[in-house]
Amino acid sequence: MKLEQKFMDEMIAHAKEDAPIECCGIIAGEDGRAVKLFRARNSEASPYRYSVDSDDLFRIYREAEDNEWSFLAIYHSHTASEAYPSPTDIRLAFWPESYYVLVSLEDAENPVVRAFRILDGEVNEEEIEAG
Amino acid sequence: MTAAERNKLMSVTVYIPTPFRKLAGNQTHVKVDGDTVGEVLDSLGEKYPGLRHMVYNEADEIPGHVNVYVNNTEIHTLQGKATPVKNGDEMAVIPAIAGGRGEALTPEQVERYSRHIIMTQVGPAGQRKLMESKVLVIGAGGLGGPAALYLALAGIGTIGIVDFDVVDLSNLQRQVLHQNDDVGRLKTASAKTTLNNYNPDVNVVIHDTPIHSENANEIISQYDIIVNGADNFTTRYLVNDAAYLAGKTLVDGSILLFDGQATVYVPGSGCYRCLFPAPPPPGAVPNCAEAGVLGALTGIIGSIQATEVIKQILEIGDPLSGRLLLLDALAMEFRVVKLRQDPSCPLCGDNPTITELIDYEVFCGAPFPGQDEEEGAAVAGAGVEHGS
Repeated sequence: MKLEQKFMDEMIAHAKEDAPIECCGIIAGEDGRAVKLFRARNSEASPYRYSVDSDDLFRIYREAEDNEWSFLAIYHSHTASEAYPSPTDIRLAFWPESYYVLVSLEDAENPVVRAFRILDGEVNEEEIEAG
Repeated sequence: MTAAERNKLMSVTVYIPTPFRKLAGNQTHVKVDGDTVGEVLDSLGEKYPGLRHMVYNEADEIPGHVNVYVNNTEIHTLQGKATPVKNGDEMAVIPAIAGGRGEALTPEQVERYSRHIIMTQVGPAGQRKLMESKVLVIGAGGLGGPAALYLALAGIGTIGIVDFDVVDLSNLQRQVLHQNDDVGRLKTASAKTTLNNYNPDVNVVIHDTPIHSENANEIISQYDIIVNGADNFTTRYLVNDAAYLAGKTLVDGSILLFDGQATVYVPGSGCYRCLFPAPPPPGAVPNCAEAGVLGALTGIIGSIQATEVIKQILEIGDPLSGRLLLLDALAMEFRVVKLRQDPSCPLCGDNPTITELIDYEVFCGAPFPGQDEEEGAAVAGAGVEHGS
């Protein structure tokens, strides 16, 4: 997965701002290229769970549709654990065409960003080419 | 359905996002009929049976992970499936974007915590809150013991224990975390064994060190709520200041002889300094080792502290904040006195002068002790009247 550094930085910044609660958001893309990052409210407001606020989800969905963008990536943070999908993340992964990007702040000095495809409960890591 | 019947129904455009598109003939939106959201979804399901399994669960309800919108509004804030729709309305059916570590309770957890879960004030959601909470207990002694014990039994996810001392035979008259074979063992290690024997699900984190100005912020920052079971004024002022400066609620307790006290300091509603602006001269107030304490009293006050922690986490009831509970066990009388936030408090008042941790050994005229016991020494008759 190709992702410009500014999107990486923006996700990490969002994760740090919202810590200790998990942050979440969507990166819209066109032909596999990221075009816009949407921060979303975590309606769970929890350090252990996230759920993109339903109003935010609708707003982002409509803007993406209007521009013929896809949900290239769905991101959220793990503030105290590794950047790997949890069992709940996997169970609730209903967007198989999107990359699931996780930002870990487990090591606060060195945030880790990793991307995965999650299809029918199976997790495959995709390398991020930052640039 | 006849054409005439169809004409009476309303035609609604339903937007289909990518995860569902394959199930709807790769269309971005479809027009279906219905007078309510439920009818529209039924029509959609008739047209695209694959989609029906997505928008309805086995109980024929819309599953929690599917958001259904009428025009711009999610139907949970409307009338759910009964929400009326009219000709030209737009609907969207969008799978949630969610996740997290919060697994559903396992059958074993449901059984273990059933007496809590059946109470409406707790329920499964409350139990999950308890399991996701992190509580720091200062001192694995008289007060910290029963407090930590009941918190562990309640399924608090993470319990941190600060203590550096070893178990002494004289502790066993009251300190329920330690047993005969633990004499000579580090209190933190003994506490962890006991708590995990009671409830292996609890993550017991050991802070095998005296708490002082250099490490207090780092330790306290890792927890949601602090339980004070410190046995000396130096540590009490330190923990009070550190908890306030970190914005954490401090559940305080102290005991001496036959007397006990408990209160909750929620930042902004008063603190230990509002009640006791200055420590007594060193040696003026005896501690438990010097004066003695009724062992059973630790169970009462420590359990009150655990109760207040659980209430805070569940956000139920009236916290024991702005109030000081006083127990005279000889008379067996409980009294509650009002505790006002002092506008001139140097920590939480209007013009604070303490904005970071200070030198508490100088302030109290006493060193941080080897912190042998964790019973409070703060039951000072004269002081109790202050602010009441």
